[in-house]
Amino acid sequence: MKKIAYIFLGVMLVGLSSCYKKDNWDEPNAQIHGNIIDSYTGKPLLSSQADWSIRIWERSWTASVPINQDIPVKQDGTYNNSKLFGGTYDMLPYGGPFWPVTDTTKNVVLGKGTTNGQQDFTVTPYLQLVDFETSLVGTNLTLKVRLKAPVRAGLPNLVDVKPFLSLTNFVGESNYINIPEYNDTRIQLNKSWIDAYGDVESSPLLTIGPLPVKSGYTYNVRIGANVNDANRKYNYSEIKQVIVP
Amino acid sequence: MNRYILLYTVLLAMIFSACQKLDLEPKGRLGQPEIFGNEFGVKKYFTGIYNYLPIEDFNYYGANSGTAYRPDNYWEAGKNSQGNMSGEFFNTWVGVNNGGFGYWPYDRIRDVNVFIQNFPTYQSKYTTEVYNALMGEAYFLRAYFYFGLAKRYGGVPIVKEVQDPLAGKDVLEVSRNTEYDTWKFIHDDLQFAIDNMPATSESGRANKYVAAALMSRTMLYAGSIAKYTQYLGFQAEPATKAGLAGIDPGKANEFFQYAVDAGKLVEAGGYTLYQKEGDLALNFARLFLDPASPENIFIKDFDQSVPGDTRLRHSYDALMSPQPDMVADVGAESYPPFDFMELYDMTTYTNSDGTPVRFTNRSDIKNDMEPRMRGTMYFDGDVLRGKAFSIQRGIYQTYKGTAADAQAGSNAAPINTMIVNGKSNRILGGRGWTTNINGVDLNITGAHGNFDDQGGENNCWGSAFVRKYINPDMKQSEAGLYRSGQHWVVFRLGEIYLNTAEALYELGKRDEAFGYIEKIRDRAGAKVKRPAIDQTSTNIGTINKAHYPYQIEKSLQFIRDERERELYGENHWWWDLRRWRTADQVLKQFRHRVLSCYYVADEKKYIYLDEINRINRDWTASKSCFYEPIPAGEIGKNNKLLPNNPLY
Repeated sequence: MKKIAYIFLGVMLVGLSSCYKKDNWDEPNAQIHGNIIDSYTGKPLLSSQADWSIRIWERSWTASVPINQDIPVKQDGTYNNSKLFGGTYDMLPYGGPFWPVTDTTKNVVLGKGTTNGQQDFTVTPYLQLVDFETSLVGTNLTLKVRLKAPVRAGLPNLVDVKPFLSLTNFVGESNYINIPEYNDTRIQLNKSWIDAYGDVESSPLLTIGPLPVKSGYTYNVRIGANVNDANRKYNYSEIKQVIVP
Repeated sequence: MNRYILLYTVLLAMIFSACQKLDLEPKGRLGQPEIFGNEFGVKKYFTGIYNYLPIEDFNYYGANSGTAYRPDNYWEAGKNSQGNMSGEFFNTWVGVNNGGFGYWPYDRIRDVNVFIQNFPTYQSKYTTEVYNALMGEAYFLRAYFYFGLAKRYGGVPIVKEVQDPLAGKDVLEVSRNTEYDTWKFIHDDLQFAIDNMPATSESGRANKYVAAALMSRTMLYAGSIAKYTQYLGFQAEPATKAGLAGIDPGKANEFFQYAVDAGKLVEAGGYTLYQKEGDLALNFARLFLDPASPENIFIKDFDQSVPGDTRLRHSYDALMSPQPDMVADVGAESYPPFDFMELYDMTTYTNSDGTPVRFTNRSDIKNDMEPRMRGTMYFDGDVLRGKAFSIQRGIYQTYKGTAADAQAGSNAAPINTMIVNGKSNRILGGRGWTTNINGVDLNITGAHGNFDDQGGENNCWGSAFVRKYINPDMKQSEAGLYRSGQHWVVFRLGEIYLNTAEALYELGKRDEAFGYIEKIRDRAGAKVKRPAIDQTSTNIGTINKAHYPYQIEKSLQFIRDERERELYGENHWWWDLRRWRTADQVLKQFRHRVLSCYYVADEKKYIYLDEINRINRDWTASKSCFYEPIPAGEIGKNNKLLPNNPLY
């Protein structure tokens, strides 16, 4: 009986001590964050939550070509990841509603320990949505917006102009009330800017609606417009809050 | 003592002599000489390869499986089917799978390459005809695997040799060829197969015309990929710049011409459209079940009598019709949406003044339908395995107003919610529920749906079940899981006609193209056999009123629609949407509509209403579906596969 107890104790000792082993690699505690700046306004790009991402490649690893990781961009036009491995990274804003960024930002060093790296990017959006207005008559909501295309040479065809409504603070392609009553009011263009509006920077004021809304609710509303590039993501207007009495 | 020494010596002698003989070839194993040295050995070798061909048949998973072509638990293929995934069927099981499942069959391609490389050693054992036929068949098989790759990834590494596993990185890590070269390679392999194979073969094996049929399909795909990829806006993507994802539009006509030539070669093979039955609806349904159909070019056989787990049986019947009336197990998993019914000649269900047409019987909805549609779908009143389909969504106590007043079935519509005689005007219910109106007990729903309290299993959403490929000759008690054995038609003349018609139209030969459309529509029993050619441009498609990123002539859109009418449920639709580069527009919040039947109690008549599906479900594909990502594990092994496809 005693023998068994000793054997058992011995096995436990060996078993438990084998569990304790310190990893020889630092935990992922490096942080990178920053803003995506709209080159026209100088402010963070109007975005929808996690609509597109910053691509990063870790270059400290040289044994093979690294596969990219993505850091989603938030609604306020910022991004943040505080759980990366320390090392050297290449970074590229990719897949968003702006003219492709061709220069990858190389060799961003994220140090070990508590380094708090900031890296901002400036992008040139395809379209700007300005003069956004909402008007509520009873429970019918009408939206107005003007599109601007400062760069028209090589601009892919316009696809559509679409209203986004949400009952939460998050509103955009990644979170909206997805019902035909709203979706069907989108303006489907599928033609070039020149064919749609001529060679001018601003479109006329576009009207969408009326959209049926419910009494007693507070809606967050914005309009998006996109062009037929590879990703077809939306450029957005600012968000307006509509309180339906 | 002597005895022991003797025994010891004998034992030693036995042991040592035994050692010498261990080096012999084991007799129970077949090597190359046995397999490649005679026709039956080759047949056995090929059987294994045929089994893995990328054919999207009854068992194919359209989503969520690493082994989609030979899935485990393959009774679930009904729920995970490509039709359910891509919105060709309506149900709730799976959504659009943009990224694919990492198909990478280079192990099978190696099997074929082993044959191609070593078979010449055994040439002396064959007559020239047999030798050429078998070699041609190997090229056909290799082309089929490359087709499975090219339609997913665009350009892939072309491996024609048997690689030595010890050859080192430089040899083993092969870079991707361009998409143009990949499709061209498929063309060359198939041309070799066509030139070397005989005109006939046993069922389930390829011959010259089977290779031509595959040529027709692949070259049509390549042509439309070349023509329409430019509209995706991928120009700035590294893979597209390198020619790996996309083909110069100037090459489109080259491929369309190959497709036309291959289609015409198939016609020389003596196949004819199936026209054995006088009843055109029955004729269309039988075409898929008759193993002797003169329309079949190539079939994949299944067999009820084989052992389980061989994937040579399937569960199609059990997963497409209602249980327990028609099948013994599970029940229907997929339903035809109204969006697809509308493509066909359809009975009028709304009067010119906007009010719903009153039908005396529910089954009167079939009165004026195109026969092909009735051969493709079962409607109320049709009989399967001795029981009649019975489909109704609910009851209106009274219906004064237009069809639009029902607001596509919305619960907010006053005509649906107003209170009549203490109950809501529109009454919905579950299986077997009744309601009492003016002293009469009425069944709220049909026996097979639509039950408002249940999900999508065994519950008809809309007004139809799938008929195509259903085997009515089975007994109800036999129609269970893994019990179906009807064959899958891989290539049939109907598809080849449609391929040729589309390719001809793309080449500007409009009249000739519509000659083929006429043949198809004649057999289908359509009202207008040969519609007039309409060259007006449009970028609006038919299903979901999709806005394409390019203009096409209306008659070309008609040919595309004809393809869907004829090939509905045959696993073409998803690939067609992809090669036309319209998937992200057609499947853009594609919210299926259903045609729902109601009993109007005060008139004792039936009406049909065009509604949005009850759960408001939609299908959305993204642009990343046009090229699937190269599997990450493969990139990990071979960096030369980069750049990855657009958007990945």
